[in-house]
Formats: sequence, C-alpha cells, structure tokens
Amino acid sequence: MEAKLRAYVEALFEQAPKTRKAYELKEEMIQNLIEKFRDLCAEGKTEDVAYNIAISSIGDTSELIAGLSEPMAALTPEQQKKKNLYAGLTALAVVLYIVSVIPLIALSVRGDEILGLAIMLGLVAVATGLIIFISMTKPKYHKAEDTMVEEFKEWKHTKDERNEALKSVNSAVWMLTVVAYLIISLGTGAWHITWVIFLIGIAVQQVVRAIFQIKK
Amino acid sequence: MSIAGDLIRGHTDTIILAHLYRQDSYGYEINRDIQKKTQGMYEFKEATLYTAVRRLEQNGCITSYWGDESTGARRRYYAITELGRQTYLGLIKDWENARALIDKLIYVEGI
Repeated sequence: MEAKLRAYVEALFEQAPKTRKAYELKEEMIQNLIEKFRDLCAEGKTEDVAYNIAISSIGDTSELIAGLSEPMAALTPEQQKKKNLYAGLTALAVVLYIVSVIPLIALSVRGDEILGLAIMLGLVAVATGLIIFISMTKPKYHKAEDTMVEEFKEWKHTKDERNEALKSVNSAVWMLTVVAYLIISLGTGAWHITWVIFLIGIAVQQVVRAIFQIKK
Repeated sequence: MSIAGDLIRGHTDTIILAHLYRQDSYGYEINRDIQKKTQGMYEFKEATLYTAVRRLEQNGCITSYWGDESTGARRRYYAITELGRQTYLGLIKDWENARALIDKLIYVEGI
C-alpha cells in the first residue's frame, strides 16, 4: 500500500521539471503521506480507507508543481554590473592583442624593429595579465536553473578554475620566454646560445606548476 | 467547512509561522498539530501546505534542513528565521486590526 502511495505521488510529479528541488519536494510529500497513512492505520482504519484519506488530503497540486518550473531569480543589478565589467576587460585584452602588432609594423618601417617588438611584447604582457586577473577573480559559474545538470556544471567549473589559472600563467610564461628570446637574440646577436632561454622557460613553468600543487 | 476553509486559507502563512515559532517541525507534524487543535475540523491540503512552505522559504521567513532519523526515511524540518518572527508579529497585528473592523461591520442588531 505504501508503494501505491509512492506511485501516486510519482505520477503527480510526472510533469515537474527534473530538478533537485522537485525531487526533494516529492520525497518530502511521500514521506509525510506514508506517515499519515500509518497513523490512520494505527487509529484502526483499514488500509484502503487510510489510503483514500491520504490521497484525498493531497488536494490540487497544479499550482505547486507549476511553481517548480519558475526560473531562478534573474541576476541582481550588482551581478549584472560585475558581468559587464568582466566582459569589458576581456574585450580590452583582445583589443590589446590585436593592436600590439601595429607599433612593430610602424616602427620596422623606420628600421626600429627592437623598439617595436618591445612595445608589442609590453602590450601582450598587459593583455595576458588582464586575462589572468579575470580568470582568477571571476565569480563562480552562475547557475541558470536549479537542475542537476547545472549543479554539475557549477561543480566542474569550480574544479576547472585552478586549471584555468594555471593555464593562463603558463601561456604568459611562454609568451614572455619567446619575447625575451627574440629581444636578447636580436640585441646581442648571440643566437648560438640564447636558446637556453627556452630551457629556463620550461624550468619556470615547472616551478609554477609546483607552486599550484602545493597550494592545493 | 468549505467556506470556513476559504476564510482560514488566507491565514495559511500565519498558522505555519505560529507553529514554527514554537518549535522546528516537518510538514506532517504541522498538519497533525492543526488537526489536533481544531478537533479534526480543519487541516491543510498537502498542496496548500507545501506551496505555502515553499513560498515562505523563498521569502526568507523560514529555512529547512534534513533531519537525521535513525529509523525510516529522513524528514525535512523547517525552522523560523528572525525575518519570519517579524513577519509573524506583523501578520498577527494585521489580523487583529481586520477582525476589529469586521466585527464592527458584519453584525446586525437584534438578530
């Protein structure tokens, strides 16, 4: 009979969204109905009568179940502001990347490649720094709706956040390595030995990874 | 009963908050308590109770947690918050004002 009660409530929730809230509400209702059913039986009612009383006490669940489909609250103005800020910063970083080649091209016409390169690398460094800043301070993934899938995404996102930061730092290290290699090589002309800089780059990368591991 | 039911339904929130003001409780216990107090003349429909509880939780008047029963399934308990207590006191005041007004309006002398 208790299985029948459960089946009845399960059927009521057929149209409900598959969210954790809906699942919890369903379990709560089943749990309470079963308790009521047992109390009625203990009062001396037959199982059939107790079942019918319990079922008829549920009432109209259409409003309750419709309420489960309501979307989560929209972003607060403050969250929206932050979101806009991060979008702006990302756009700025991309612009810096694109613009960074202009001084190189312009100055190389005058035969001043090194200065052009230096400015380009400076711009790239700023842009990369911005992206690292964004990826490290950006708020957690915002759940669009309260489903299991969204919850998983949020969990995954938090987990990936560290990796994201590590990746950003790594790409910055490589960028700087290449820049240092080019500047030093062009400046000194010591191409036969400057490749060592790449080994140093690898070493720095490993150190960064180690730092992240320790922090974990 | 059904007309009285409509009158009472407007006070669903007050009734639930009043119960939770005394102690943390779960859905069936709230309803059983109402039944006991009214000698079986009134109880919430399950749907009414859970709709109200959900709304109260969204408004921040109550919070919920899962109890840890040693036997059987776990129950979802509700607890009143500070905001809930203030809301409750406000609702009681509203009711007392309304009742005083209604009492003045609905009675016909000599019946």
